Amino acid sequence: MKRLFLRLLTGSILFCMLLSCSEEQNFDQFEDLSITPTVASSIFYLESDEETINDVPAGPFYYQTVNFDAFNEEFVAERLLEGTITYEIENTTSKTLQVAIEFLDEGGNVLDVELFDIEPNLPETYTREVTYGPTGKSLNILTVTDELRISGNNQSNTTSVSNASEPKVILRSAAEFLFRLK
Amino acid sequence: MRRIRLFFYIMLLGGASICAQNKQLLYDFYEIPQSLMVNPGVKTSEKWHTGIPFISGLAFQAGTSGVTVNDLFANDGIDFTTKLQERVLDAMTHRDDFSTTSQIEGFNVGFRSRNRPDDYYSFGVYGETDIIVYWPRDLAILGFEGNGGANIGRSFDLGDVSLRGEMVNVFHFGINRKISNTLTVGARAKLYSSVFQFQSTGNFGSFRTTQGQNNIYVSTLTADMQLRTAGAKEIFDILDDDTRSAREELPPLFAKRVLFGGNLGLGFDAGFSYHLNPQTTITASILDVGFIHQSKDVQNYTLRGSASTEGITVFLPEDIDNVNNDVWQELVDDIEESLPYEENNESYISLRPVKAYGSIRYDFGEGGLGFADCGCGVNMGRGSNQDFYPNSVGGQLYMIKRPRGVQAALTGFYQKRFGKVLSLKTTYTVDKYSFTNIGLGFNLQAGPINFYVLADNLLSYRNIADSHYASLQFGFNIISWNGN
Repeated sequence: MKRLFLRLLTGSILFCMLLSCSEEQNFDQFEDLSITPTVASSIFYLESDEETINDVPAGPFYYQTVNFDAFNEEFVAERLLEGTITYEIENTTSKTLQVAIEFLDEGGNVLDVELFDIEPNLPETYTREVTYGPTGKSLNILTVTDELRISGNNQSNTTSVSNASEPKVILRSAAEFLFRLK
Repeated sequence: MRRIRLFFYIMLLGGASICAQNKQLLYDFYEIPQSLMVNPGVKTSEKWHTGIPFISGLAFQAGTSGVTVNDLFANDGIDFTTKLQERVLDAMTHRDDFSTTSQIEGFNVGFRSRNRPDDYYSFGVYGETDIIVYWPRDLAILGFEGNGGANIGRSFDLGDVSLRGEMVNVFHFGINRKISNTLTVGARAKLYSSVFQFQSTGNFGSFRTTQGQNNIYVSTLTADMQLRTAGAKEIFDILDDDTRSAREELPPLFAKRVLFGGNLGLGFDAGFSYHLNPQTTITASILDVGFIHQSKDVQNYTLRGSASTEGITVFLPEDIDNVNNDVWQELVDDIEESLPYEENNESYISLRPVKAYGSIRYDFGEGGLGFADCGCGVNMGRGSNQDFYPNSVGGQLYMIKRPRGVQAALTGFYQKRFGKVLSLKTTYTVDKYSFTNIGLGFNLQAGPINFYVLADNLLSYRNIADSHYASLQFGFNIISWNGN
């Protein structure tokens, strides 16, 4: 009896250990994994009051070139799929303004320009969404961009003053991009 | 080939994480000398025992409380990314873990004192690797989905990062003493020689992108995080250096560390067995109450601080004179200054994962001679058959201190003894890994040769790839009773 039991036990354990079953597995599926996160971040914010605009008698009231490596970092540039840069503009000044954002490469060449002609006393926030990727502008504009040149020009006089309590012009911008990590 | 790949994957999974160390089959299985290792106060019967070096006790456990290999890699035609999204990202929480534990006994020897036959001494050495990695849910979602789209406004908890692991060699010496016919107590002193250790626990912080105060978005990162390592840097240096041979340099490094050349620590085990009546016994033990002073080859990494950004910001007229071209780099520098990533070599104390067992056992059935011919009477109830009831039934409780709190397991068991030759134990265990864990162990005593095998979660062997938990212990010993 004991011998029989022992044999049964041994057989059972061998069955469990050596002949255990497993459904068919396909570890090559890992190659099909797709990881494409959407990354959102603000880029640039410019705010100027009307007095500052009036203080500049001629030429742009703001003109600045800034280094901008966010998209041309190798890790980012290689994985960028598509995305949108959103611009928002508020203008409560009495001025007609023109704001330009130029995308420059390492040699200072202009790759692209976003030009905003802004009416005085905008009743609501103006929004522009610029798409990059298959359905929009070339991604190369971003991946090659090394600097941004931002300029603000007063297209009106330098004496008028808005009736608003704190007249100012505001430019907001943010990016939301899709990356392929795998 | 498929089995081999599966095996390696499971090992890889285990290596990247770890599971419970519960040895519910071995606990109170006093026919097996290694039961002393889970309760120094277990009843002992033998005159002496010696484990066959390196095969006296081998134990492997791996577990996952969340996704299984089969969940992801079954050849079911479902898109892998969809499976990962539905079965991992949407289903697993930060309390789910991957874990693995392995133990290999170098040697294990026990003997009964000539002068005090109520005392049974045991000593030996074993190596243990123990790793647990909790699922970093929020960070995984951040990596998979990003902070944009629907995740604007969502706070990602950096505290989800929690992991701990170590490889340690343990030298131990224990005393088991029969105080009376009803009470046996025991204690074991341990000297730990660490090979490596790492831990990142108690982390705090969050990352969140919301509507900005000025610009469209504001991203805020707050972190108080730390990863401590000891013994790892030198290993990685060897592995990363193409001019060095890992095959030649790692074995002597490991050998040095397991033989007191690594970081050292102290600990103890304690336990008892008490007969409430001739047929009812309660037992309890506490294991690995100890620490290791990690002072050699220490490399710690910290990320502490808080930073917010709305991108490059220009306010006129305040910034009218700021004609600096590097405002982007300044922004990056400001963030790094507010949230410094630092390294240090400060020593630290690592605590061993404390484990505790408790059990109640009821013995019944018509007894045989059992160990009557072993002559070991010291721990036997002479003149009665209380030590050889062929059947036992009872319950066990197991608890272990883990980084996210105490994990518990409840076990019901039945044990059957066939003379002194064969003993079987079957268990049903409920824990966070499985509600269907049925285990089976058997102990064979062929003359002085003792062999045991204990296997857990047998139902999972129908599809091992779908198992949340797997455990196997086995070993060989030579046991002698009086007169043998």
